[in-house]
Amino acid sequence: MGRRDPLFPNAAIVARREYRDRTRSRLFRLSTVILMTLALGVAMAPITLRYLDRSSVDVIVVVAPEERLAAATVATANGIMNIPRVGTDAATWMPPYVIERGTNLAAATEALGAGRIDAILEVNRAADGALSVVYRTAGPANGVLSQLAGFTALSVGIVDWTRSLPPGSQLGAFRTPEFRTESLNVPIEGGQAVDAVQIASRSFLGTVFIVLMFITILIYGMWVATGVATEKSSRVMELMISAASPRQLLLGKVVGIGGAGLTQYLAIALPAVLVLAFQEPIARAALGDAGAGLPTGGLTLGLLAAYGLFFLLGFTLFALIYAAVGSFVSRPDDLQTLSLPLSLIAMAGYLSALVVLLGGGGPLSRLASFVPPFSPFAMLARLMVSTVQPWEVALSVGILVATITVVALAAVRIYATGVLLYGQRPGFRAFVAAARRA
Amino acid sequence: MLGLVTLDIDHVTKRFGQTVALDDLSFRVPRRSIFGFLGANGAGKTTTMRICLGILRADAGSVSWDGRATTDLPRRTWGYLPEERGLYPRMSVLDQLVYFASLYGMAPDRARHDARSWLTRFRIPDYADRRAEELSKGNQQKVQFIAAILHEPDVLLMDEPFTGLDPVNLALLREALVELRDEGRTIVFSTHQMEAAEALCESLAIVDQGRVVASGTLGELKRGSRSRTIRLAAEGETIPSWLGEMRGVAAVRPGAGFAELELLPGAEPRDVLAAVLARGTLVTRFEVAEPSLEAIFIEHVGRPPDDEPTLDDAEADAA
Repeated sequence: MGRRDPLFPNAAIVARREYRDRTRSRLFRLSTVILMTLALGVAMAPITLRYLDRSSVDVIVVVAPEERLAAATVATANGIMNIPRVGTDAATWMPPYVIERGTNLAAATEALGAGRIDAILEVNRAADGALSVVYRTAGPANGVLSQLAGFTALSVGIVDWTRSLPPGSQLGAFRTPEFRTESLNVPIEGGQAVDAVQIASRSFLGTVFIVLMFITILIYGMWVATGVATEKSSRVMELMISAASPRQLLLGKVVGIGGAGLTQYLAIALPAVLVLAFQEPIARAALGDAGAGLPTGGLTLGLLAAYGLFFLLGFTLFALIYAAVGSFVSRPDDLQTLSLPLSLIAMAGYLSALVVLLGGGGPLSRLASFVPPFSPFAMLARLMVSTVQPWEVALSVGILVATITVVALAAVRIYATGVLLYGQRPGFRAFVAAARRA
Repeated sequence: MLGLVTLDIDHVTKRFGQTVALDDLSFRVPRRSIFGFLGANGAGKTTTMRICLGILRADAGSVSWDGRATTDLPRRTWGYLPEERGLYPRMSVLDQLVYFASLYGMAPDRARHDARSWLTRFRIPDYADRRAEELSKGNQQKVQFIAAILHEPDVLLMDEPFTGLDPVNLALLREALVELRDEGRTIVFSTHQMEAAEALCESLAIVDQGRVVASGTLGELKRGSRSRTIRLAAEGETIPSWLGEMRGVAAVRPGAGFAELELLPGAEPRDVLAAVLARGTLVTRFEVAEPSLEAIFIEHVGRPPDDEPTLDDAEADAA
């Protein structure tokens, strides 16, 4: 206790043993390969789904009592639903919807029930000349398609109304107006606000990142706690504590086990992130223009670096706490009870980040992005989908580093006391007393 | 005292909450000697060793080695064999011996070489590459002993080193301890096994409830004892049943063809002999022997060194 041992080389020796012990196990290798395959599968899912769906189009049948009204509805629906994305080669582009005229409602309904068509757009005219439009589907209606059908109904109404204008009125052909959304609080890249499609992509990616961070911190944090508890339950701790200081042991363990976790994490995540980062070119290579607009654009090196930084800091913070907790149990089984409060804290950070990603970044979410242990989650989410000033990132990182330093000092004290205790159920007061003890 | 005094436990006090584990405890260990630290469970032996190692800090008092506070000494000064044995179950024997020695600053190649030589000496050279969990408890204990001494510490602290060893391994361990002492190391061990302590220790301290109640060389302790031991044999029956009920007799132990009588303080051997003869017994052997270490222990502590509640409970409560 009074002795001040240098951190190295013992911390490095402990870290190396912990790292080798885990990474050399057959279970570690097997689980890494399985998880890597799964992650690649998930990352490739949008491309795979689109590939499988590349030749299928939705068939929508228009049924109307009047020839002219039916023709106007088909033309309007085509104008609204079948719009190629900007930059798409019109020559090779294939419309996602086939919109055709049906002969009668009974036949169309029979075809819908049999699955030969995907929807019916039924247009009727009342006695007073007003139009009514019904969008019929076999199952629950797709939200986006319902909206498009609604726009089509409105547009058909306008087109039909213009026919009542006096003869000779000079009206051009109906043209769908260009439409876009602009928001004040959005990320800026190269001096330009990131567009809505990119933000939607980033929101999707942010959710993936936050979920990964949450799961990883919990799993690898438990590795650290279990490592400490196992060393204690096997009583090898009695030998260790005389050979190395609590500081050397704790940091060596966090670095070694954390390193093994990071190795597995990188092995799993790196191929998947690469696929996500290059998804657009991969999709275009596999699908041509049909590969445009997948929901994973907007991933930049800056965002990846931010993710790496906040992940490392968040993991270090939680791993130190897990190590301290692990030192207080006599058997690894007891960890289940003690790890629950920690999981709930991580869950709070995860939820605060999700709120930001879903567009609810209010003052509380902003505050959470500065307050550990929520900040690694919340700040990363803010970086993904909103405007964040550089000083805010610096402040968040600074507070996090300072907190890690304080937690490390307390964790060393708790660990030094905890590893010598056997046969008692630790409570909150025991942790505080241990942290205060010099 | 033998040689130069080098390990000095000076008025050390340690409390765990309301429990006083060490109460102004003091004793000195001569350099290059084997020192016995005797006490019942809960007497404070493990706490004392942990304070020597710097794992625990004393509330008062100091521990010094060769005039330097233990907190100023490198960890490799000490070798420690804890009472609670433990190894990494899935790590090979050789790997963990090298690992522990590396933590004490020993070069891995040399540690590997020396570890193999110690394994050979302890008759388990073929176990070097086996996992620790594949070894018997006795062999694991030998590996732990090697882990404690491999880095060649100046002082070796061992908590109950003989527990669980069969006679062959016990002899091997005793031999190794004597050899280490002859090489210049200072050895301190706690034990319940009075015979082992009597056979090995040049000096001892008996501790009870955190205080040293007796200390000195084995000869000094025996000479200072008020305890009397008689060895007596009678014709016809080796141990007459009524011996234990005689006045002045504290305990009767069977010996090889005789009975060993532990007398109460103040009881005189001649009075016991007179009482035996008065019963008409034909005495074939009567010998006033030196008191055993166990008798000295009982004289100072008031009970034999049996199992009692440990200080672990007090340490747990204190946290």
